[in-house]
Amino acid sequence: MFHKNNAKNSELPELGQICLLAEIPQGEVFRIVEIKGGPGLHRRLLALGFHRGDLLVLDGEAPMRGPLLVRNLTTDTRVALGRGIAGKIIVEPVRNHE
Amino acid sequence: MNESAPVIVFVGQPNCGKSTLFNALAGFKAQTSNFPGTTVTHAHSQVLWKGKVYTIVDLPGTYSLTPHEPQEKVVLTHVFKEKPDLIVNVVDASLLCRSLELTVELLELEYPMIVVLNMMDLAEKKGMSIDTGELEKKLGVPVIKSIAIRGLGTTELMNSVEKVLSQKIKPQALKFSPEVEKRIKKVQDLLPEDFPVVANKRFTAIKAIESETLAVDKFFLENNPEFKTQLDRVRQEISALREFPAYEVIAAERHHLALKIFEDCCRVRHARVRAVEKFDNLIMHPVFGLVFLVLIFAGMFYLIFKIGSPLETWLLKPWEAIRLAIENRFGQSLMAELLSGLVQGIGGGVAIVFPYFIPLLLLMGLLEDSGYLARAAFLLDTFMHYIGLHGKSVPLFILGFGCNVPAVMATRILESRRDRLITVLLIPFIPCAARTTIILALVAFLLGPWWAVGFYFFNLLVIAVLSSILSRIFKYSSPGLILEIPSLRWPSFKNIMQKTYFNLAEFVRFAWPILIGGSVLLSLLSFIKFDRLMNTLLSPFVSGLLGLPQSLGVTLVFGFLRKELSLLMMFQALGVNYASLLSAISQVQLLTFVVFVNFFIPCLSTLAIIWKEMGRKVAFLSVLLNLSVAVVISLLIRLAALIF
Repeated sequence: MFHKNNAKNSELPELGQICLLAEIPQGEVFRIVEIKGGPGLHRRLLALGFHRGDLLVLDGEAPMRGPLLVRNLTTDTRVALGRGIAGKIIVEPVRNHE
Repeated sequence: MNESAPVIVFVGQPNCGKSTLFNALAGFKAQTSNFPGTTVTHAHSQVLWKGKVYTIVDLPGTYSLTPHEPQEKVVLTHVFKEKPDLIVNVVDASLLCRSLELTVELLELEYPMIVVLNMMDLAEKKGMSIDTGELEKKLGVPVIKSIAIRGLGTTELMNSVEKVLSQKIKPQALKFSPEVEKRIKKVQDLLPEDFPVVANKRFTAIKAIESETLAVDKFFLENNPEFKTQLDRVRQEISALREFPAYEVIAAERHHLALKIFEDCCRVRHARVRAVEKFDNLIMHPVFGLVFLVLIFAGMFYLIFKIGSPLETWLLKPWEAIRLAIENRFGQSLMAELLSGLVQGIGGGVAIVFPYFIPLLLLMGLLEDSGYLARAAFLLDTFMHYIGLHGKSVPLFILGFGCNVPAVMATRILESRRDRLITVLLIPFIPCAARTTIILALVAFLLGPWWAVGFYFFNLLVIAVLSSILSRIFKYSSPGLILEIPSLRWPSFKNIMQKTYFNLAEFVRFAWPILIGGSVLLSLLSFIKFDRLMNTLLSPFVSGLLGLPQSLGVTLVFGFLRKELSLLMMFQALGVNYASLLSAISQVQLLTFVVFVNFFIPCLSTLAIIWKEMGRKVAFLSVLLNLSVAVVISLLIRLAALIF
């Protein structure tokens, strides 16, 4: 389509290799390793049900490098996250989901 | 505590349907929509059930009991200070797992409580089957199923309320893992004698641990440094258990309790992808989504115009006929002037409200309830960054098209004061339903539909430019978007009708008396030639600066009450009827006047709410900003007309 998906063409990160939520390809399952950023942001994400260990899938992104649409599989919620915030969430790929 | 009327507070996460449930019990009192954070103030109501009166309080949605967002502070104040007799925890059943985290936290209070599983229909559609018996056992409180949007479950809820209150059933807090509980107990024992205990000691201790990095922590330091040192030591111990900050350890404990309960009480059949989800993906698609967004708004205004315009012509006819009849019967007497003022006032009110206001309110209601507003915020976030704001302001602006007042109130959902200030200053520039109506009626009717469309886009452009300017004045890096996207759902017809009725009734009650009274008053003033004085006073401004007929001066006074009144009263002031307006003023003058009135000042109710929400300074700033923008743009139009 018209928007570029950075990681779509590249290989999935190796197991055990970590990356940022802002960099993951659509449709693959990832697990939250750590949430960087100040306590304010951290608390807000915790309150929305984003915890370490939760499984995430990137559902889509808004046009013109807009926010990401992230689904939390563990708590089954969908949240729009700005790219700056997605860049503070560290994730690792989960290969054998389901 | 009140012996005669027990206080029941509704607590739940944003967009779980608290307000809908509240309205189902109390009649229409709270504004609802499918956008997180619509209830920003609380609504009180009295409910009579089996001969007993209950006070029910609808609180803003909150994700947790740790205050960082303004609406969460409202919740805390109520829960802590007013000591409710009963908490009704409303839960979106389709988001059970996440919602249980708040339920677990509420249980820590050990206040009498009932859990309402709302939106059961949505949960079932998602393939969830919830064992309420098991859930009751795990939580230790009654669990009621409901579909508030259809009014289901209210009887069961009130029966349960009666039972819980009469038996004074108090729940037990759920226990965290032993190593964490041990540290909580430690803090409990450390609490100084004079420490303000909220609910119970364990809850107070947990909150003290969690308040790390929050403002309260400084309070501890200043008032009891010894306690603060000991508290910090325990926090470090807790932190060492999991290698996270202590507040995250506590949050993770609740998360795990919630997950465990969810797994034990709910089975999820992995249902096939539903049509609505496919549709949802389409409307959030980066390209089709934007196309769809434009189509929705274009279609909406086209529809309103298509319905409104012929209806308006048709509705105006009889009033015009009556006015002519009066003129024939009474001639140029005071009686004739007053009567025709009255008829014009009523006619104007009817011809606006029915053709345009009602369809606009219905369509806005549809957008709100379906959950589309959050999607618009998602799609337009990047664009909003260009003008210095972010996506969360989009729904507020869209609400502003309905009425500026609730839009200003809803700016409380914005986390940063700076974003809030800019959004509040911009909202009065958005043409609300009543103003849109006049623009459609006057501009489209007299100058053609394309002028109205053009005016609209111009209006949006003005907002974008202003926003860029304001965001450069108030510099600050935006925290970025965090917004929950609620499920799409079929709007309930009843809900939309109620909401439309609510807004309509408000408008009719407030605007019609002013409109009709003002119209009669204007006739009287013009008969005794008092309006001339007003006009002469305002003349240097109205005629000199704006190049408008002097007689329009007096209408600006009414415009402060409600902007649309200025436009309606211009017929009266110019002494012409609707169809022959352009014989009295030129097209350029009409355009200048409409532009000036549209921008010149926030209407009285908007100004009042800005004052209340943001303080006097911001209200003054808003007036100043509006006035200068109105003057500049009106002058530009005059200038453009001179050149071309």
